[in-house]
Amino acid sequence: MEFYLGLLQILGVHTLLGLSAYVVLLTGQVSMAQAGFYAVGAYVAAMCTAMFGIHILPAVIIASVSTGILAMIVGFPALRVRGLMLVVATLAFGEMVRMFFFNFRWQIERDGKLIGPNGAEGFRAIRFFPENGWETGDVALFIWCIVVIVLGLLWWVDNTRAGAVLRAVGHDEVAAQSVGLNLTTIKVAAMALGGAIAGIGGGLYAHTVTHIEHGVFGILLATFAIAYPILGGLGSVFGTLLAVIFIQGFLVEGLRFIGDWRSLLFGALILLVMNLRPTGLLGERMSPLKTLFSRKSPVVTNAKETQ
Amino acid sequence: MDYYFFIDLIQSLVDGLLFGTTYALIGIGFTLIFGVMRKLNLAYGAAALAGTYVGLAAAFVTPLPPILVFFVSALGSGIIGYIVYLGCFRYTPSSHPMAALLASVGMLLFIDELVIHLSHGMPYPYPSVLRNAEITLGEIWIRGDMLFVFGICVLAMVILYWLLYRTSLGLATRAVSQQPRAAQLCGIPTGQVNALTFVISGVLGGTAGAMTAAAVGVLSPIIAMSLTTKGLIVVVIGGLGSIPGAIIGGLMVGAAENVFQLLRGVTERDIYVMLLLFIFLTLRPGGLFGNTEGRD
Repeated sequence: MEFYLGLLQILGVHTLLGLSAYVVLLTGQVSMAQAGFYAVGAYVAAMCTAMFGIHILPAVIIASVSTGILAMIVGFPALRVRGLMLVVATLAFGEMVRMFFFNFRWQIERDGKLIGPNGAEGFRAIRFFPENGWETGDVALFIWCIVVIVLGLLWWVDNTRAGAVLRAVGHDEVAAQSVGLNLTTIKVAAMALGGAIAGIGGGLYAHTVTHIEHGVFGILLATFAIAYPILGGLGSVFGTLLAVIFIQGFLVEGLRFIGDWRSLLFGALILLVMNLRPTGLLGERMSPLKTLFSRKSPVVTNAKETQ
Repeated sequence: MDYYFFIDLIQSLVDGLLFGTTYALIGIGFTLIFGVMRKLNLAYGAAALAGTYVGLAAAFVTPLPPILVFFVSALGSGIIGYIVYLGCFRYTPSSHPMAALLASVGMLLFIDELVIHLSHGMPYPYPSVLRNAEITLGEIWIRGDMLFVFGICVLAMVILYWLLYRTSLGLATRAVSQQPRAAQLCGIPTGQVNALTFVISGVLGGTAGAMTAAAVGVLSPIIAMSLTTKGLIVVVIGGLGSIPGAIIGGLMVGAAENVFQLLRGVTERDIYVMLLLFIFLTLRPGGLFGNTEGRD
C-alpha cells in the first residue's frame, strides 16, 4: 500500500511538471526551462520549511510566486527569439539554474544542525512531513488536492476566452496578431503561469523526497516535462495526465522487472508515437473559436512548410 | 595582474581556441541540418558520440592505428545520422514541427541509453596521436595532440567547403536550403539531399566526437550532453544556418570556456558560458552572421 501511495505522490508532482509545460506549449513555444523552474521551486519551498520553519502551504505558494516572477523575467528576453531558438535559450537557462544550485551554499544552524543547500552535496533533511506526523497517505492526498485544483483551473481556463487566445497564438501567430492580440503579453503570461505551476510541483517534490540535489533537475527532467503534454496531445489537460500515468505508472514502475531496458523503451516509445500519431495520444481538439482563428489559406500553409 | 597571470590567460586562450574547433564542427552539423530542413536535430550530439563508440568498438575487434579509429568513428556517426533521419524526420509530417523535435529527443534518449547499456557506462581509453609532442613558444606551450585535433577539424571544414561550393551535390544542398520548393521544381530530389545532409553532418559530428575523446584521452557517455549543449550554444552565437558563424562561435565558446575556467574554476565555468549565450540572445537574437528574415 505504501508503495502505491508513494507512486501516487510521484504521479502528482510529475503531472504538475507536465502541466507547466502544457501551458507554454499551448502558445506554440517549446520550453526546456521547466526543469529549471521546478528546481527553483524545490529549493525555495524547501528553504522556507526546513530553514525558516514555515508551514508547507505558504511555502509552496511562496515558491510558486517566485518561480512565476522568475519565469516572467526569463520570458521577456527568451521570447524575443521564437521556435527552435527558444528551445536552445530555455535549455541554456535550465542548465544555468542547475549549475547555480551546484555552486549554491547557504546553511543556517537549526536545532544544533546545519541545514540548507550545500553545493554539490545537495539539500538534505527537508523533513517537514515526518516532523509534523504526516503519513504517506496524507501527503498523497495533499498533493492530489493541489493537482486537482490546478487541473480544474487549467481546464476551466482552456474553455474560456483566455484558452482560445492561447491556442490562437499557438496555431498562427500572424493571424492572432492581426485580430489584435498582443503576442508578447500572451506568451510571457503563459510562461509565467507555467513557471508558477512548475514551482508548485518542485516545492511538493522537494518535500516528498526530503533530499534534493542539482543532478535531478537536468535535461532529462526538462525532456520529461515537454514529453508529457506532447505525447498525450495538446487537446486538453487530460492528455498530459494520461501521459504521466502511462510513463511514470506503466513504463517506469510497471515495467521495473525488465530492469535497465526501460529507459531504452522510453526513447523508442516517444519515437514510435511521434511517427504514428504526431498530434499525441489524445490528439488535438478544435474549439469553435479556435477553428475561426486557425483557418489558414493554402498560401500560408505552404509558406510554413517551406520555411 | 602580474606577469604569470597574463601568461596563464594567454595559455588558456590558446588551448581554448584549439579545442574550440571541435565545438565549431558540432555547430556546423546543427547548422547544416537546420539549413536544409529548418528543423533542430537534438539527437545530433548523442549520434556523434555513438559514432565515436563505433570507432572504439572497431579498435577492440581488430587493432587499428589511431587515424583509422578516427575514420571509422566518423563513418559510423554518418550511418547513425542516416538512421536518425529515418527515425525522426523522414516520416514525421512537416506540418507538426514539434513532432520531429520530440522524436529527436526520443532518439537522443534512446541512443544515449543504448550506448550506456552496451558500454556498461564505463569510460574507455581512446587513442590519440602526438601525445608527448609539444611546441614551446616562449612561455606558451602547445600540446601536440591538441594541435592534431585542431588540424583534423580544420581539414574537415576545408573538405566541407569544397563539398558545398565546388561539387554539384553542394549546389543541390545549397539550393534546397534556400528554396526547397524551387529546388524540387528544378528536379533536385530533396529527400535524398536531406538524407545526405544528415550523413555529412553525422560524419562531421563523428569527427568532432573522436577529436574530443582524443583530446580528453577517455571516451565516456557524459560527453554527449556537453556536445549537444555546447553545439547549440555555438549555433545560437554564430547564427542558425550560417557556417562561418558556427566556426567563429565555436572558437569563441572554446576560448570563453577556458578563460572562465581559469578565472572562476571548473564548476562555475558553464554558468558563464550560458550567460554569454543569454546576452547574445537578448542583444543579437539572430546571432553574429544569421539573417533575421525567414526565421522559424
